Amino acid sequence: MKAFFSLVFFWLSVLLSSSSYATEQAEQLFNQLKPSLYQIKLIDKASGEKSSIGSGFQISKDGIIATNYHVISSYALHPKKYRIEYLDNQGNKGRLTLKSVDVINDLALVRRDVEQDMAFFQLSQSAPHKGEQLFSLGNPHDLGMIVVPGTYNGLKKESFNERIHFTGSINSGMSGGPVVNKQAEVVGVNVATSGNSIGFLVPHDKLVNLYQAFLQIPPESIEAQMAQQLTANQDKLMTEILSSTWQAKKLGEQGSIPIIDVPFIRCWGDSNADKADALILTAVANCSLDENTYLSSRFFTGSMEIEFRTMQAKNIGANKFYHLYQQQIARAGAGNRAGKDNVTEYQCHHDLVMPDNQAINNKSIFCTRAYKKFPDLFDVLYLSASVDKDKQALVSHFTIAGINQANALAFTRKFMEAVSWQ
Amino acid sequence: MAVDYIETESIEAENIEIEDMELKNIAAEEMTTEIIIEEISKGHKLLHRHKLTKKQIHIGRDYHNDIIISDPHICPGHLSLEFVEGHWHITDHQTVNGTFVENPKQQKHNANQHKINNGDIISLGKSQLRILFSDHKVAPTLAFSPFESFIDLMRHPVALFLSMVFFTLIAGGIFYLNKPVEVNFSQLFVPAIGMALGFALWPAGVALVSHLSKQDARMMAQLGVSFAFFNLMWFSDVLESIAAFNSASNSVLPLLVMLISVALAFSLFWLNGYIGFHMTARRRIIVAASITMLLFGGGYLVQYSNKPEFNPRPQYNATIMMPSFLLAQSSSVDEFIADSSKLFDKTKKRALKE
Repeated sequence: MKAFFSLVFFWLSVLLSSSSYATEQAEQLFNQLKPSLYQIKLIDKASGEKSSIGSGFQISKDGIIATNYHVISSYALHPKKYRIEYLDNQGNKGRLTLKSVDVINDLALVRRDVEQDMAFFQLSQSAPHKGEQLFSLGNPHDLGMIVVPGTYNGLKKESFNERIHFTGSINSGMSGGPVVNKQAEVVGVNVATSGNSIGFLVPHDKLVNLYQAFLQIPPESIEAQMAQQLTANQDKLMTEILSSTWQAKKLGEQGSIPIIDVPFIRCWGDSNADKADALILTAVANCSLDENTYLSSRFFTGSMEIEFRTMQAKNIGANKFYHLYQQQIARAGAGNRAGKDNVTEYQCHHDLVMPDNQAINNKSIFCTRAYKKFPDLFDVLYLSASVDKDKQALVSHFTIAGINQANALAFTRKFMEAVSWQ
Repeated sequence: MAVDYIETESIEAENIEIEDMELKNIAAEEMTTEIIIEEISKGHKLLHRHKLTKKQIHIGRDYHNDIIISDPHICPGHLSLEFVEGHWHITDHQTVNGTFVENPKQQKHNANQHKINNGDIISLGKSQLRILFSDHKVAPTLAFSPFESFIDLMRHPVALFLSMVFFTLIAGGIFYLNKPVEVNFSQLFVPAIGMALGFALWPAGVALVSHLSKQDARMMAQLGVSFAFFNLMWFSDVLESIAAFNSASNSVLPLLVMLISVALAFSLFWLNGYIGFHMTARRRIIVAASITMLLFGGGYLVQYSNKPEFNPRPQYNATIMMPSFLLAQSSSVDEFIADSSKLFDKTKKRALKE
């Protein structure tokens, strides 16, 4: 243990000495920006205690504060249960009102009452360049406001909705805090981390758009605003997916599956070719959209999974093969987390289906559940199992969360026609 | 002394005459003095039957009695029945716990000096006696039903052995089909035998119950008939799978095929009752129907009670079978999409309702 500590101290001192210039700069920035930084707290009205915390920063002289949607999500969905409060650098507390949200980019605008014009953060006019040093501000784990230096590493390639890849430690509680360049202009908002100094930021232009839209027409209902944003986002996503090329790819010995050629859908593969005692040779290809829109801690949407599986019987008869095959497809589950308050239970339809090209005959299952708060949005699940070859099978499956009926059916149709035997 | 002898002889002669007369009287009144006393259980099941031709019958716990009942709540000389002027009367000998009579026409009441009717039930202590006269009507003779020949066939040791072997083979086959790893013979044999023994518990249980209720156990018949039906149920399972595999979710075919299983279960329970218990046809149908309901309805209830308040997983029927069982015409993608699109309205309506 002692050895471990001394190692940690050794590395810390190395880091500190190398970044002493950065630290100096950070301090200067921090002191300059401190008055416009806030800790945002959600207070449970019944218990009077805070139920979640995050950071926020003022972006206008009249008290508009930007933060993450997920910091205030409980209030947005249950405004009667909570109230939002701020805590400034001098320890003053006060009420905040929710003004506007962007669930897709995880942003929210709240407002504090101000008596006179106040200092506020300037939003940058341009995106940073790769390698530029940035400073992330926030209140990690309720330990007080801190500043973390880090580097801009461009936009995350695989994400459908842009995120900045920031190399620097962002911790929980810093969510909603600003990330500034050396000129103290906001270039992003802390939003997520994947650990080991890999952080993700919402680009500043999303905040600029949200603020401009708010200044023009403030939303009447936050829930309706969210529904509208979710619907628009799935439309944008599905339009892009449906209009992109779907490349036919061989899976296993005879399966032909579509690979959707868009950067934000990534695929992985696996097989059990190394297992000598397996009765069925299986090859699996998984593709997924690296996107998960946070609506509440128990309700995520916007995700998409696609899975293909081929199976080949080795030393067993057709009857046994189909019994084991059926076990494989008996328990498909939803791709996103959602509870009783958010969605209905699934309703399913199943039938034997042969596409017009007659290249495969499937048992196909289609299930859907509706969103309770956001009308016309659904989660869908599709599962199809080939039933036309004695000792070979091709399973195709997808789940899409938060999609409307027309897009769901259009995608299902294209998907069904793209899966076949070679 | 000599006179005494003569007198004695004459008295003896007279005695003989009297006995002769008595015999004649008995012969004359035989039809009416004949009485049947049945010891019955609380559920009115027959325990013992006595047929007596005396004019006076003593019933009690001590050994002077004509009918001795070893019930500690009965007095040693509890009651007597006497045939007077064409009718039987009860006399209760001031017993500790009393004697009571009941019949379909009258409530339970004190039996002392009661005039007995055909079918009266006398309660004494914790025991019951049913009194019948010899002209009591009996039910018409039952003809052998066609089931008898089926039962006879199935209870034949060879047939029974074959159907049990068949059952075990199918059970073993199903274990084989569902095992995702390679298995050897004994790994299938042991659970298959276990399953056959487990299923044998049902006919054995029915036979035990009929034995306990003082009826003929007919173990072989129960076993033979039950296994014949268990085997038929395997087939109805296959039929159900074929129906589920070949039909869409909006088809009624699987439901119709499920009725076959229900009918088979009902027939099995009906035959179990027919073999093991004497009861009216109506009652047998009611009992068989109740057990069938309990089996299917109970299964549904258990499922329903285990159902979570909200199921985040979809519930669908993923029955697939090898291509040789594929009988139905496949739908087109258009038809599938059209059918699936109806689900959106359905769930949306539910979302609005909740």
